[in-house]
Amino acid sequence: MDSSIIPISNLQLAFTVLLVLIAGGISSFLRLGLLGALVWGTVRTFVQLTLVGYALVYIFRSNNFWLVVAVITLMCYVAAKTAVKRTPNVPDYPTVLAFLSLLASTYLAGSIVTVLIISPDPWYSARIVVPIFGMILGNTMNGIALSLDRLYSEVRSRAAEIEARLTFGATPWEAVRSTVREAVRAGMTPTINSLMVVGLVSLPGMMTGQILGGADPRDAVRYQIVVMLMITAAVATGCLILVGLSYQKLFNRDGALQSFVLQSRK
Amino acid sequence: MLFNFNNLRYSLGMERKREVAVSGSVAGGEVLVVRGPSGAGKSTLLRILARLQPCIGGEAFLKGRSWREIPGTEWRSEVHYVAQKPVLFDGTVADNLALPFESRMLRGKKTFDLERAKVYLEKLLLSQPGFLRQDARTLSGGEAARLVFARALLVGPSVLLLDEPAAPLDGKSREAFYGVLSGWLNASGRAAVLVSHDGDYKYLGRFSFLDITA
Repeated sequence: MDSSIIPISNLQLAFTVLLVLIAGGISSFLRLGLLGALVWGTVRTFVQLTLVGYALVYIFRSNNFWLVVAVITLMCYVAAKTAVKRTPNVPDYPTVLAFLSLLASTYLAGSIVTVLIISPDPWYSARIVVPIFGMILGNTMNGIALSLDRLYSEVRSRAAEIEARLTFGATPWEAVRSTVREAVRAGMTPTINSLMVVGLVSLPGMMTGQILGGADPRDAVRYQIVVMLMITAAVATGCLILVGLSYQKLFNRDGALQSFVLQSRK
Repeated sequence: MLFNFNNLRYSLGMERKREVAVSGSVAGGEVLVVRGPSGAGKSTLLRILARLQPCIGGEAFLKGRSWREIPGTEWRSEVHYVAQKPVLFDGTVADNLALPFESRMLRGKKTFDLERAKVYLEKLLLSQPGFLRQDARTLSGGEAARLVFARALLVGPSVLLLDEPAAPLDGKSREAFYGVLSGWLNASGRAAVLVSHDGDYKYLGRFSFLDITA
């Protein structure tokens, strides 16, 4: 098997401008108002990825355990901020809770994969650990954002039922148990769905990357299976932890629903 | 005094600028009828008494014990609030009657008694065949109101907080409702706080008024 990657030269990379022109042409033709965002997004893509490329070269070379931990923790923090921003139904949510749930779920699933399954030498090998944890994070971030948003919107729309349960002497947990279940389900559903159609509808990015990089598709498939299942595990734990940490914020010290849940959305 | 509250202060209306302060008390076997114009804060008062929402100041006492000494969960099963709009859950009528007993608090004290539920339903003129198996979401407004009242009695509180409980009821079922409420109050250690617009308290035995002015 030829395992050499075909490099893309600067000139060839510049041809991607053609792709931007196509999208930009459609955008201005239909007056979608996306031109500014498209240009800004293109610039950011170039800059961010170039910088990350250099950073990864440095991190892979130094291969220092603490540097790897620091990078992953920073990634968790950025993901937590992004997840919290993506929840229109949730007012003023503390990033720290999202951060904690991402940290716990990512390290749990990621460690199982890097230590037990791929087991590179050393096990914290940056070349393996950083991309693996990154893939987990990207998916868990989406999952917890969905869960959190669903938790708040469900509690809002079922406030009367939840209050009725409280009047029966239910604890806050007993009153929201079924809502919590819905919220965790909402976060996990896209991941479970992707398990069903993977390989049929599209080839996952990671596998495509390995194949373009010259790997044997059968090896790429094995990696992909590991990746999909670790993502599923991480999303499940992430959603569970976050919803578990969050539901109490919907109640006051008396164990009654907070007033912002009962008022209409502003 | 079975149940009393002193100088409960809370704010009302747009921007929550209007503030009211309310005191009241009700002895065992009695009904306290809360009267006042729309928007005077009658429903809000009941919700505060049930500790479903906080107030600015004041204190309530159940059998002489301050609500500061009693956890909210326990308080709410003793001072039981029934909302104006009946809340029914997915499932049958029987499921809805048994639902309160899913909470650990209630399970620790008593078990769901289907026979007793049937007695209440019959007295509330809800004994048509197959009623227990009917989908609760298909009930009429009057049936729903009586069903949640029967469920409230099964919860077994000391104080019932009822918000316009008879509003959706007509003639006979209204009379039946007040009959059951009066019968329930006859046992010792029970009282009710009732928000009402109509003059129906004539059906009740002992009652007093609490007037809230806007």
